Amino acid sequence: MREPKGWVPKLLIGIAVLYLAVLILLPVLAIFQGAFAQGAAVFFESLNDPQVIAAFWLSIQLAIAAVVINTIFGTTVAWVLVRQEFFGRAFFNALVDLPFVVSPVITGYMVILLFGRQGWFAPLVKATDTQIAFAVPGMLLVTVFVSLPFVIREVMPVLREIGHEPEQAAHTLGASSWRTFVRVTMPGIRWGLLYGISLTLARALGEFGGVLVAGGAVTGKTETATLYIFAALDERQYISAYAVAVVLALFSFTVLIGMEILRKRTEITQ
Amino acid sequence: MSIVIQDLVKHFGAHAVVDHVSLEIHDGELLVLLGPSGSGKSTILRIIAGLIPADGGRVFLHGRDVTHLTPQQRNTGFVFQNYSLFRHMTVAENIEFGLEARHVPKAQRTAKSNELLALVGLGGLGGRYPKQLSGGQQQRVAVARALAFEPSVLLLDEPFGALDVKIRAQLRLALKEIQQRVKVTTILVTHDQEEAFELGDRIGVIDRGRLLEVGSPTALYRSPQQEFVATFLGGANLMAGQVKEGRVNLGSLELSDAVSYTTVDPEGRLEVLFRPEDLTLATAREELTIPVLGQGVIEQVLFLGTLQRLRLRLHPLPNTWRLPAEFGETGLPIQVARVPRSDGHLDFQAGQQVWVGINNFHILPRIPMRVLVGIDESANAEKLLTYGEMLARATGGLVTVVTMAEDKATAEQLAILARETVGTQSPLMEFHARVGRATDEILGQAKAGEYDLLLLAEPRKDSPRAETTFRELVRRSPLPLLIVKGEQTTIRRILFCTAGGEPGKRNIIFGGRLARRTGAGTTLLYVDPASAPTFGGGGPNRPAPNLARPTPPWIAKHLAEGTLTLRNQGISAEIQERSGVVVDEILKEAEKGEHDLIVIGRHLEGGTARLGSIDLTSEILQRAPCPVMIVTEDPGVSI
Repeated sequence: MREPKGWVPKLLIGIAVLYLAVLILLPVLAIFQGAFAQGAAVFFESLNDPQVIAAFWLSIQLAIAAVVINTIFGTTVAWVLVRQEFFGRAFFNALVDLPFVVSPVITGYMVILLFGRQGWFAPLVKATDTQIAFAVPGMLLVTVFVSLPFVIREVMPVLREIGHEPEQAAHTLGASSWRTFVRVTMPGIRWGLLYGISLTLARALGEFGGVLVAGGAVTGKTETATLYIFAALDERQYISAYAVAVVLALFSFTVLIGMEILRKRTEITQ
Repeated sequence: MSIVIQDLVKHFGAHAVVDHVSLEIHDGELLVLLGPSGSGKSTILRIIAGLIPADGGRVFLHGRDVTHLTPQQRNTGFVFQNYSLFRHMTVAENIEFGLEARHVPKAQRTAKSNELLALVGLGGLGGRYPKQLSGGQQQRVAVARALAFEPSVLLLDEPFGALDVKIRAQLRLALKEIQQRVKVTTILVTHDQEEAFELGDRIGVIDRGRLLEVGSPTALYRSPQQEFVATFLGGANLMAGQVKEGRVNLGSLELSDAVSYTTVDPEGRLEVLFRPEDLTLATAREELTIPVLGQGVIEQVLFLGTLQRLRLRLHPLPNTWRLPAEFGETGLPIQVARVPRSDGHLDFQAGQQVWVGINNFHILPRIPMRVLVGIDESANAEKLLTYGEMLARATGGLVTVVTMAEDKATAEQLAILARETVGTQSPLMEFHARVGRATDEILGQAKAGEYDLLLLAEPRKDSPRAETTFRELVRRSPLPLLIVKGEQTTIRRILFCTAGGEPGKRNIIFGGRLARRTGAGTTLLYVDPASAPTFGGGGPNRPAPNLARPTPPWIAKHLAEGTLTLRNQGISAEIQERSGVVVDEILKEAEKGEHDLIVIGRHLEGGTARLGSIDLTSEILQRAPCPVMIVTEDPGVSI
């Protein structure tokens, strides 16, 4: 057999590295550069602003809530879509991808259409005296919606690949459905699930358009970290904006890299 | 009895994967279910374990009816083909899983898992993860896991399927030993006959969802009752024989045997089985002191270590043919196995002429041809029954008559009439009355039982409903259909229609078997449709040329092979070629040759567009002066 020509792989490596560098690394570096343009002291000072802390806190709350909801329901939906046969399965399977293709701004608008003063659920909202549109619950709905596909789409192929047999094996060994799920199904899908969770988290933290429309970006009330960045840029407070952006980016990075390390470590033994 | 299954049925869609299987397995026995892939053996195992619900039938484990219990409640140990070990658990955790589910205390669990690890020869490996073990070790963990909670039965689904040959042989011995030590009743599913022989106390052979025979390995190998079992277990040479005065004859050769044979076939036909090792080779006839089968040429010599396997082709012998017939072959292909002498003396070479002697032979009582006759109110029952009885007598077959009507009284009345028509004394016929839609009843029966042929009467012209029913049956019947019409009550000459090169090989083989059993002569007809003027308004109206085109070479070859196939079975066969309107030419030839049965393929219907929008099958059916047999794509059962 002839050796493949040396320059082809090198060229491909070059293209891949350049592509990732220009599109991902460069913007990240630019943000870092912007955040630390006036030194570390100014960077940390701008993060210590109560408005920034409130924005971060809201972002984190929303993200965690979205992760919890989408983990529980996402796993259930994935299991049902893979393991069960029912009428309309293909339809619901396609429906899962809808949040990918619908613009978050429209999602935010949908929340207002449903829960706003003239919305479908306006009577319900009035009766229970809960504010949903232009409030945190509406933002949560948007965040859950936009981050819904990740857990499902990460878990489904893993479930499919594992197949039905480990679960059947557990059943023949006498394990109840619940024990089978906890001891066999969950450990089997955990890496897919964790990956889905970290994507959900990153997506929820980064959501902008939907929460802007659904929440209205009221400072101290419905302003998330991303909304704060937008507002800060608008007011030409570049350092603050970049600093918050850097923290958000670092957080997401840490989650992704931490996951990767954990996975590598367990893969060796199991 | 540890395991009893009764009349188990499972359908996937319209296809019966498990077809009325009943089986009893003794305490501590290891039963092997052996069959080709897709035969339904794994499905049976899964039904026993409760992983798949059955559509019908019952499962008993140690006398307890578990048919409607969950897998958890059945207490069966199941080993999957790919083991399905829990990858995130250690070996010990895997083995203890079943005990954990039964809330056994940790200390006891550990003790049990250590005991089992020692039993399967993996002592000390409890702390490893499955991924750190070899395939063979994983398999043993799976067995240990399935045995840990002391299951009532052990079910193994192709447990050696994923292993290489050498490890497979070792593990087989190990498994047998473990099974005997634990004394657990076991069913093992495999497609590997060597495995079945080595492990099975008894073997059940399964084909297309049906359990054909159950018996000890020796019994099944030495005296199988059915063709499939004979050919699936080891090498087999099957030939058509005949009993004359209690002696088995093969053509003009009388096989000497002390035993006297009888057969269900009125003309004493049966199948003779020679295992490859039952035949002896010699370079000269004088060297053989045993009955001589014939002379032939060695085509291939395979060296298999202790054994040598040879493929020969015997020169054609008068009135001797091989079963099942193959398409277009000359001579009799046979297999011979022998132990080569260690000094290499008298080794045979490909191309060499040799004589074949018979050391031993086995008899398969021929499974009689089974005919299903469908009668409803519209049918001409008398003619149909007469024909059915003739067919049964001629072929040594059994006839099941189903009478159908919308109400019970009419159906039973029809059955009584049918019985009277035939005369109650005929042991070859049985009668059933069915209530319901004729098509469903017939198709239900055709699927459920084992029939080779469905006999129907031509629908009466004045009944549109009968016509619809009939058309539906023709379209959907899983069996070859024989439509009785005209005045014929015998089968002397059969016309095979091969318009456009169809029907195919199978139809000729199938029809040929009918010819062989009735002693009819055959004609293979080819009609060149290209020169036929097309019917209908819109089609191109080519003028029929006066000169027929030469037959395309592939059709000529097809015809030659077809006649050879028939002649090899001792059937006289001739070729006719015509050109023109297909149906017209078929009917002309049928009349000219005094044929009393026309054989066509159902797939002629598929060629309609090409042949000018004529539904050939129904047109022939309408216009034929004699019975018509429509052969379906897969005639499956041999006549």
